[in-house]
Amino acid sequence: MGPSGSEYRRVPPIAVSSSSTLVNHTGSWKYIRPLFQDRVAPCNAGCPVGIDIEGYMNLLREGRVAEARDLLLRENPMPGVTGRVCHHPCEVSCNRESFDRAVAVHAVERMLGDLAMPEVPLPAPPARNQRVAIVGSGPAGLACAYHLAGLGYRVTVFEAATQPGGMLRLAIPEYRLPEAVLDREIERIRARGVEIICCVNVGDDLPWWSVRANYDAVFLAPGAHRDRALEVEGEQSRGVEPGLKFLEDVKRGNRPNLGRQVIVVGGGNTAIDCARTAVRMGADCLVLYRRTRAEMPAIPDEVEEAEREGVKFEFLAAPVAFESKRGRLKAVECVRMRLGPPDASGRRRPIPVDSDHFTLPADTVLTAVGEVTDLAAVPQDLERQDSALRVGAWGETSGVRVFAGGDVTDETRSVAHALGAGKRAAIGIDRYLRQAAGEPVEPDGLARLRYGGSGNVSITRWRGDDPIQRASPTNDVVRFEDLNPSHFQRAARRDDRRLHSETARSGFTEVNLGLTRDGALEEARRCFNCAVCNGCELCLIFCPDVAIARGTDGNRFDIALDYCKGCGVCAAECPRGGITMTRAGL
Amino acid sequence: MSQLMIADRVPREELMTSGHVACPGCAAPIAMRMVLKALGPKTIVVMPASCWSIIAGPWPQSSLKVPLYHAAFETGAATASGVRAALDMQGDTETTVLVWAGDGGTFDIGLQALSGAAERNENILYCCYDNEAYMNTGIQRSSATPWGAATSTTPAVQPQSTHKKDILAILAAHRIPYAATATVAHPVDLLEKVTKARAIRGTRFLHILAPCPPGWKFEDDETIELARMAVRAGVFPLVEVEHGEHWRFTAEGAREPVGPYLRKQGRFRHLGEEQVRQIQAEVDRRWNAMRRRVESSESDEDGSLAEGG
Repeated sequence: MGPSGSEYRRVPPIAVSSSSTLVNHTGSWKYIRPLFQDRVAPCNAGCPVGIDIEGYMNLLREGRVAEARDLLLRENPMPGVTGRVCHHPCEVSCNRESFDRAVAVHAVERMLGDLAMPEVPLPAPPARNQRVAIVGSGPAGLACAYHLAGLGYRVTVFEAATQPGGMLRLAIPEYRLPEAVLDREIERIRARGVEIICCVNVGDDLPWWSVRANYDAVFLAPGAHRDRALEVEGEQSRGVEPGLKFLEDVKRGNRPNLGRQVIVVGGGNTAIDCARTAVRMGADCLVLYRRTRAEMPAIPDEVEEAEREGVKFEFLAAPVAFESKRGRLKAVECVRMRLGPPDASGRRRPIPVDSDHFTLPADTVLTAVGEVTDLAAVPQDLERQDSALRVGAWGETSGVRVFAGGDVTDETRSVAHALGAGKRAAIGIDRYLRQAAGEPVEPDGLARLRYGGSGNVSITRWRGDDPIQRASPTNDVVRFEDLNPSHFQRAARRDDRRLHSETARSGFTEVNLGLTRDGALEEARRCFNCAVCNGCELCLIFCPDVAIARGTDGNRFDIALDYCKGCGVCAAECPRGGITMTRAGL
Repeated sequence: MSQLMIADRVPREELMTSGHVACPGCAAPIAMRMVLKALGPKTIVVMPASCWSIIAGPWPQSSLKVPLYHAAFETGAATASGVRAALDMQGDTETTVLVWAGDGGTFDIGLQALSGAAERNENILYCCYDNEAYMNTGIQRSSATPWGAATSTTPAVQPQSTHKKDILAILAAHRIPYAATATVAHPVDLLEKVTKARAIRGTRFLHILAPCPPGWKFEDDETIELARMAVRAGVFPLVEVEHGEHWRFTAEGAREPVGPYLRKQGRFRHLGEEQVRQIQAEVDRRWNAMRRRVESSESDEDGSLAEGG
């Protein structure tokens, strides 16, 4: 019940407001304005495959698991494989590493890769008539095939071995990459319409001229399958075996007799694979490496697992002679090394200390000091550079319509780099074939396609069909200094589940079991979501002028420029560097 | 969860409008907006003279969607006591009476009225947004201005020579049911304290640090960062105290040195290393005093538990 008329008269005269301050367009005060601007996360820029990691992490944070998986599959045909065997440089570049520890991207990728997925995530565009032949079904060849099929081409892959997969099939041990996982990944690539023909040695069973004449383009990805020689006296003795040949032998189901003591020479992943495989066959194993642990090219996690399984290491040592007795290897004579100044690879060069020799007993030596390309297996008219095929930025060789990628070129030798090279060449081939068909193509669009300008290319950028709406995207990479870490809290990185090392060394069961689905989803929530808006609303809550509101029309936020005074608090407080202050448009 | 996902924790309703005339980057409207979000529309604001008297807009405008009563400088708590009495007579116990005063209207000019209201345990929520000087009239020093700061009445040649008044201890000495500190950089802490205060009857006091870009002389976009640094450096501990006895830290991060906080502000630019050390010593002294209050509250509580058990 309100006061009556006579009661009002008893209230002294007082000024009462009748309007709001909305009539004041205080936005006219500003000289700079905020702009929601998605940039590039360092993981994306650091990924040799060119995966939108930040994109799928953000989808996972929202619980959109299927969409995250599809986004991943756009760029990476075999996430189940890379989730297991990639050296994950994404984690090295992760901004969270400067805060507590990097996000376990590999485990999240693996979880997504392991989700059963019979469907083909990228809808195929209208089919194109051109046919592409791919030589070699390792990660480079299969990636090229997968992306070309996604672009509508008719693709045939020729594989010399009895089954597709290249090194993934032949050399990576079952305990790191179960064949069932590889089979499933290849099944999905086939489901895109890729034809894979095994037991065909192109250049032998099928002449090069016929392949080059019958296909509109050819992609060469035969890999590098020959062990580099040690060039040490006695290397031809019985008991000194190439490591790669040993791994292939074991994967075929053979169990060569190694004797009691095995010495592996080398420090890369092949060396560690050899050592752990030898341990599983009951041998005592010592890895001989001429540099120190810090310079080992092998994945550090693999080295640690090898140690847990009982593999011993002798660093700063190299073999100089193999001693045999009655045709059977008995010992390895070694020289002590010391580290000199850095060499071309940036690692310190090992120098022998001639006065310091020692002898180690050995029944078997496995050599794993790198693989070399067999250039006799590719057409002889293609230009070489050192011991590799010379290719341009798009994977083009000196031969017309012939592209190449992977270990046959001077690409870094990793599964991820091979997958990335295959994708680059797929875009190169698409570009070439479109050009040949008289369609307009950008003269040099490679930098635009590369994450951060220098990372690997994105097929989504090439196709121009990004399912994620991005706000004024730029190709700059967001560094830790661009973030506001005040808004992050420390959270422990989740470790992969692993078999107990005693169980692990007794067989070939997969050792690293990754994270559970829930564990991986939790790990994904550790992602800073660098450089993209994840709707945290800190900008909204800190705006002194109530000028930022939940967006309409699909925009995450609307900025009321009539009222924004341009103070920049939103940009300073954005945890992930997603807001830029600019004069543009004022 | 590793990130502050604030979106789900802040009420959506906006009770403050755009177009107010606070300076760019001002913390005072951020504080008002958050406090009103926690209190909701059933709120009457009583506002003694302060920056906010201007921010609320010239007649006939108002930047608040709740009733706002402008009061004379020294009368914030007294006016609110009257508003409360009027509401009580109408049987309205639901509406919160909020005093929104600056440091001048709280530490200096309004202290008598505030002390009287607190002594009577008036059922009001008194918020002091503290920008550490009379900013609206041209940055004159108040008893909330920290030692060493330059203001227009304590210029750099002869800066503020007294230490900031410990207003929270003064209010705690009245044994009011609830008193706390908060800042604009800690929105969840602020919202929780306002929500807690809203549910309590009697005099409740909230001391909110509100950095001022022109008065403290820092860049417009550093407002939140300055409030955060004040807490991290221990200059402005986040605490609450119930009935003047039970002190508790609500956030106790790593104590960082006070130097970087001071160096970010033009009002301290004239200070030499020795003076920074003096300020550090005073911050440490106050921090340790606060810690002792908190620790003795904890041991009291342990004791009473032991007796009860």
